[in-house]
Amino acid sequence: MAKIGVFTCWCGENIARNVDVDKVSEAIAKLPGVGCSMNYKYMCSEPGQSLIATKIRELGLTGVVVASCSPHMHLKTFRKTCELAGINPYLIEMANIREQCSWVHSDKEVATAKAIELIGMAVEKVRRNHALQPIRVPVTKRALVIGAGVAGIQAALDVASGGVEVVLVEREPSVGGKMAGLSETFPTLDCSQCILTPRMVEVGQHPNIKLMTYSEVEKVDGYVGNFKVTIRQKARYVDIAKCTGCGSCWNACPKKNKIPNSFDYNLGNRGAIYIPFPQAVPARPTIDPDNCMRLQSMKNGKELCGICAKKCQTNAINFHDEEKFVEVEVGAIIVATGYQLYSIKKEQENPRIKGYAEYGYGKYPDVVDSLQFERIISASGPTGGEPKRPSDGKTPKSVVFIQCVGSRDNAKGITYCSKICCMYTAKHTMLFKHKVHDGTASVFYMDIRSGGKMYDEFVRRAIEQDGAKYYRGRVSKIEQVMVDGERKYRCYGADTLKGTPVVVDADMVVLAGAIMPSSGVTQLAQKLSVGYNEYGFLSESHPKLRPVETNAAGVFVCGACQGPKDIPETVAQASAAAGKALIMLSQPELTREPEIATIDEKLCAACGACVKACPYQAISIEEIRDRKGNFIKKTSRVNPGLCMGCGTCVAVCPSKSADLIGFTDDQVYAQIESLADVF
Amino acid sequence: METELRNAIRKLLEEKTVDVAIGYGRVGVNGAVGATFVTNPDDVDRLVWNNECRQNLATHLTRAEIKKLGKPAIVVKACDARAVVVLCNEAQIKREDVYVIGVVCDGIETADAAGNKTGALMGKCLSCVEHAAKNVDLLIGDEAAAKALDEKNAPNAKSVGHYEKLAKLRAMSQKERFEYWREQFSKCIRCHACRQNCPLCYCNRCVADKNRPTRIDTSSSLKGNFAWNILRAFHLAGRCVGCGACAAACPAGIELDLLNLTLANAAEDQFGYVSGKELGELPLIGTYSPTDKEEFIR
Repeated sequence: MAKIGVFTCWCGENIARNVDVDKVSEAIAKLPGVGCSMNYKYMCSEPGQSLIATKIRELGLTGVVVASCSPHMHLKTFRKTCELAGINPYLIEMANIREQCSWVHSDKEVATAKAIELIGMAVEKVRRNHALQPIRVPVTKRALVIGAGVAGIQAALDVASGGVEVVLVEREPSVGGKMAGLSETFPTLDCSQCILTPRMVEVGQHPNIKLMTYSEVEKVDGYVGNFKVTIRQKARYVDIAKCTGCGSCWNACPKKNKIPNSFDYNLGNRGAIYIPFPQAVPARPTIDPDNCMRLQSMKNGKELCGICAKKCQTNAINFHDEEKFVEVEVGAIIVATGYQLYSIKKEQENPRIKGYAEYGYGKYPDVVDSLQFERIISASGPTGGEPKRPSDGKTPKSVVFIQCVGSRDNAKGITYCSKICCMYTAKHTMLFKHKVHDGTASVFYMDIRSGGKMYDEFVRRAIEQDGAKYYRGRVSKIEQVMVDGERKYRCYGADTLKGTPVVVDADMVVLAGAIMPSSGVTQLAQKLSVGYNEYGFLSESHPKLRPVETNAAGVFVCGACQGPKDIPETVAQASAAAGKALIMLSQPELTREPEIATIDEKLCAACGACVKACPYQAISIEEIRDRKGNFIKKTSRVNPGLCMGCGTCVAVCPSKSADLIGFTDDQVYAQIESLADVF
Repeated sequence: METELRNAIRKLLEEKTVDVAIGYGRVGVNGAVGATFVTNPDDVDRLVWNNECRQNLATHLTRAEIKKLGKPAIVVKACDARAVVVLCNEAQIKREDVYVIGVVCDGIETADAAGNKTGALMGKCLSCVEHAAKNVDLLIGDEAAAKALDEKNAPNAKSVGHYEKLAKLRAMSQKERFEYWREQFSKCIRCHACRQNCPLCYCNRCVADKNRPTRIDTSSSLKGNFAWNILRAFHLAGRCVGCGACAAACPAGIELDLLNLTLANAAEDQFGYVSGKELGELPLIGTYSPTDKEEFIR
């Protein structure tokens, strides 16, 4: 006979304000099988929990219902309470009378009636609960880090230094990401490469890190603690084990300095065999098959050029290289795929987002985006750090910086703030003024957002010491004009503080484009079963309390793939993700919730509907045989290690032979039936 | 054709290619045509082939008592052959374990309440564009004649027969349509003949026979009738081959084939999917493609 304890929480005023808790307790006490029904101000508090524990022990309760907040909030808390009081933790159910009742209703009488019904449903469910044991699964002590920008580098180094092997995958030929291309960094103006390259080298040399550049994640199988990841190593045409990085090949390439270098955002050039930048890690070249004469000629059965192979002393060049698939087993995955700038041009990949045709980006050579400007003023950039404008190589005297290009612009379809543009634009003005003392830096901004340690001081310095001109207003149009035979870009803006139009003739314009997640991140997220928002930024599990976890167990996020952020924040988040991964991998085994699918093998017709519907490949068709090995029948069977308990199989099973432990059809129907008089 | 069929089956049984032949015979009280099982080559004269062969014999392929008899040969019309394909695709049978004899069919006649022929073709036959069975081991009948019939029916295939009824149904208001089905389902006596005659209703224990929890009212109440008939149609969504065996078997004359056609038609319109077309085809439900239409998601 069931003896169920029902504990209704006031949640301070949150529930009690709109729900008559005394009336609820009274009504619930009359339900069959309810052994005790009481209410208390804070059930989750220490006295609240001990009230539950005491009643469990005193009355020998067979099930517990806590009517309070969402189970997301406190189910774990109350399971612990039950466990400590000596009953199986899966014999408790929560009735959500806060989010689903008191918070959304204003009529107390109605809300009270609804609370009684919600609790009544939970009572019917808990009456059919069974004691369950968590599933234990082994853990592979190895982590995968996807993306080797500053976030991935930091996460990989931290995990590796924690004594766990790391596979670091980067799709570009070198690690370093966006940060490797930056000039100097706010708010201290230290050189980006100077602080990053030692880390890059460390990643290349760390005994616990297996670096896989020019590689992408192809497929992800398995589950937390036991992922099987297939990595596609793109054909590099250079054996990086044999290559010494001497440079004979890329210096001899006839296409040297003839092909736009994407690392320099096409402002500088490289050869067909190239390293993207001198400090690349690994310092091993890659052949670009679209531009290599030999590889192109091989398509027609000829063998042209091949100079690089002739120059190579170690025979490292292999024109017959093909992409390879490597399978790695890992226990945890950290995603650090970073960002890209929103395409400012008119055409957009995402139809909901519009471009800025009015700024002439892509049409006027001297209208550049902020990452291009970083290369222009970077000591390692195509101009060697001399500020030269792309069209004619002249030193610009007047530069206009436009902030919020895309960001915070509902009309263009991007509502969020890209967060770092205010700071780097101030930095840009400073770096420009430091190099061109008689130059003018004009900034058009919407608001200056410079929260952070020494951040606002930095912006004030740009304005007050370096003399950047800040106009609060936006630019409506940029026109190319000729002034005294000089090519100028006329920016039609406004100074809304003065209430006057502002027209500036600039030699060069820098657009602070919005930050978007890297291309391909949504496809990756789908492989990992990680959520993402409408822009493709990956979703953390909880915005405050689980900022680096995702809803896919064992998958963590860090850096700009989760949302726009600057370097210090990215690094902090990367270390946090590494810490979370290390915590997980330090366990001897993982326990998983036992709420998984099960098949009634007697009744299963083995139609395979569940096999095809299962998103986790957790179900297979098996044969049942007797002791002599005679075939009896076929059935579907669930692998408890793989099942995530989503219930899709239950929905598709025509004969309802599939069921979800902890959420059985029996329980769910009983809940529904408790509501309706028609049954 | 009938003689040809008998000879072919006699040969198969004599040569022990198969152990049992599942065909049609006059087995009913008034000589009505139904399933006949022949294991002895001398008995093949019991088999018949005519335009009263309404049943879909594929339903017997999954029955344990028939499986016990050994390897079967089965007589199928084109629509029944599609059911065999679905059974293979759903791993209920292995194609190589069955010898499939297709017959060229020029249409099956409906029966009246007493079981007598009416002279009118079944709705599915009026719009049939596949008179010769596909994916078979042996085809009996004139293939050229079948092709001619296909071509004759093709231009109006989607507007005659039960498609005509479907168009009328679609033209109704939601309320009228509900009333229509209410009237149809109110006739249901829950004999489950539809299920027993459907080759794709092969579950060991049907959800309608489960009582913990009771998902469908077991008595023939209107609510239970709605639940049963709609649930069965849902279970056939993207699977039904349109053989019409359910409607032919229904003693209450419920237009079950029309109900199933609405879903089959949606599968074809939305996803270009025709059930039972080819061996190895993935099921419509439970298979996701990034190019699937999503316009119905709102």
